[in-house]
Amino acid sequence: MNNVIAYRSVTSTLVRTKTSNVLVVLCGICIPFVAAGCGQTPAASFRLNLVESSKQRLTSSQEQQVATILTALFGTPDEPLAPPEIGLDGAKLKLAAGPVRSDIVGRKNGLYREHCAHCHGVTGDGMGPTAAFLNPYPRDYRPGVFKFKSTERADKPTHDDLVMVLRNGLAGSSMPSFALLSDAKIEALAEYVKYLSIRGEVELSLMRAYFELDDEDQGVLPQSREFLFEEIIDPVSEMWAVADDAIIDVPDMPSGLDMVASIAKGKELFYGNKANCVKCHGVSGLGDGQANDYDDWNKVVFQAHKTVEGAAEQAGKASTWEMSAEERDEYRGELAWLDRFETVLDGNALRPRTIRPRNLRQGVYRGGMRPLDLYYRIHAGINGAPMPAAKGTVPPEEIWDIVNYIRSLPYDFNGTLGADRPMAARDRM
Amino acid sequence: MLKRCFEMFFLLGLVTLCLGCGKERVASPGPDMAAVRELREALGKESSSDEKVEEKAVGTGWASLKGQFVFTGTVGAPKALVVDKDMAVCSKDGMQLFEQSLVVDDSSNGLANVVIFLRKSSRVKNEKSAEKPVFDQKNCEFMTPVFAARVGQDIDVKNSDPIGHNTNISGSSFNQLIPAGDSTVFTPGRETGLPVSVTCNIHPWMKAYAVFREDGYVAVSSDTGTFEIPDLPAGEPLEFQVWHERATGRSGALNLDQPKLQWNSKGRFKITLKENEERDLGTLEIPADAISG
Repeated sequence: MNNVIAYRSVTSTLVRTKTSNVLVVLCGICIPFVAAGCGQTPAASFRLNLVESSKQRLTSSQEQQVATILTALFGTPDEPLAPPEIGLDGAKLKLAAGPVRSDIVGRKNGLYREHCAHCHGVTGDGMGPTAAFLNPYPRDYRPGVFKFKSTERADKPTHDDLVMVLRNGLAGSSMPSFALLSDAKIEALAEYVKYLSIRGEVELSLMRAYFELDDEDQGVLPQSREFLFEEIIDPVSEMWAVADDAIIDVPDMPSGLDMVASIAKGKELFYGNKANCVKCHGVSGLGDGQANDYDDWNKVVFQAHKTVEGAAEQAGKASTWEMSAEERDEYRGELAWLDRFETVLDGNALRPRTIRPRNLRQGVYRGGMRPLDLYYRIHAGINGAPMPAAKGTVPPEEIWDIVNYIRSLPYDFNGTLGADRPMAARDRM
Repeated sequence: MLKRCFEMFFLLGLVTLCLGCGKERVASPGPDMAAVRELREALGKESSSDEKVEEKAVGTGWASLKGQFVFTGTVGAPKALVVDKDMAVCSKDGMQLFEQSLVVDDSSNGLANVVIFLRKSSRVKNEKSAEKPVFDQKNCEFMTPVFAARVGQDIDVKNSDPIGHNTNISGSSFNQLIPAGDSTVFTPGRETGLPVSVTCNIHPWMKAYAVFREDGYVAVSSDTGTFEIPDLPAGEPLEFQVWHERATGRSGALNLDQPKLQWNSKGRFKITLKENEERDLGTLEIPADAISG
């Protein structure tokens, strides 16, 4: 009852003046629009990698050819296809793909869109609706590069590596743990991530292949089985197939190791000219040594911005005055390309961010906190990130020393170990 | 007060209407569904036959190609690099590092570091040599600004500095720590289309390029702009790609006005050599507008 009275008093105050009258009418028109939103949601579809296609200056018919080949080979987000040659499990993909739905009580399909797509995007481009608000950005699977894995730097992660990331999440990032999902669901999601990654890498290869065409091809890629599989798909899918053979062979930490001596040795290596950790992770290990670099994903966008800036400057210098009709057409084409590239970078890419070398004083490690995980990171570096591999130039026992030193850093006070470490709270009591 | 609220609400609604929902993206071109069905059918039918069509070698014998790239524009003062780390080594005795993106010889105007390579070869004369080319870094600078090697050939990646470096070859996933005075081996596993960049993440001003070719038919122009590629297949049409770090063409393609060589906008030209011929292209002039300022 009170509400009704309140409502009446509101309307009566509003209609008191003429301007308010107009307001009410306009409001009446406005509210339904706002409530209804902008049109219907279109069916989910894969987005093309427009940053790469702009970089390669593909024409719209070339972009369409890429979309056509990709759809023929890989299907759509609702109906994924995987050519048998790439060795993905179709049943798992089906469980992960499509809209969230349930046909049997207790069984749910569309897992990727339920759990992953809001950050990683339907295409796996790391540009879901929430991506721009996260730091670090969600992984873009399309270049086929993964950071946290048990394999050598240039190799793909194993299936188990992907499962581990899904199960544990990535500490210190927005990637949560999906440990509550059943094994079957996690398996399905890992398979689907592989599918999106292979699809994305095939897309990149297709787009880059246009530059390699001969004049006789007239800007159209061949669509023969021989070209598509042998030149484009096989090199990608083979890398995934051999990932299990590329697992880093880790020798055990020397038994009966004097830990204090090992930590001291690790410290020496950390600051020395051999391992050089200090250059990026900083003198204090806070990750403040080198922060003006980019990882591979951000570098692509950063460099694209530079390309656009450079081309715009060059175009600005040209004088249409002295141009022949042909040159002028070319010049207009250049301007149209620049204009679109700028829009693509603005709306279809995330603002590039510089790297943040890990703060080693926090004891939070994205790829896992086991000594083994840290060994992998130091041995192989982090693919896609500036972190280089120590393999080959730093022997295994010294890598273990660095691991031990890194693991001591969160408990280290004033950079020296032992004497000046603050007394633990429970000892003071 | 309530009226205020209502007005505010109205204004907000109006703003939402005007702005629309979210940022405008460039719409992604969709597939041509008829073509998709056609392609699926075609791929299904085509059996993966084992017999590959080998590229036919039509000519016999071998020939060589040489020439000289000459820059006709004016060369500005080289840009000084900002060196802010390891000063004791990187700017020892007040040494200043300069960008090496445009190296022109004073007397001949020859342009160094132009890459020229054969796009496709039907046959190869020489096996990979066993010697290891050296890719060195000294005084916080890569000693070879543009480095060429053959796929599968071991390269000695060296660090002659008393400080540590890392060598990061883009596109190859090779990014290796090289301790002071040490070296490591890199074996390129696949061909690069155009040259890829090589950097040191510890010293971000360090930059070089690398090009890896399966057949080894690649040359980098010398300090005087000269190049020579020996033992090329003769008697058949050859197509070369030419690249320079600062060329204005697409991805660094060097566009020259050479109608006789059918030089195109992708920085490629065509030529057929006779057996045992030692073709000299003479001076290839690079006008100022082919290089970005």
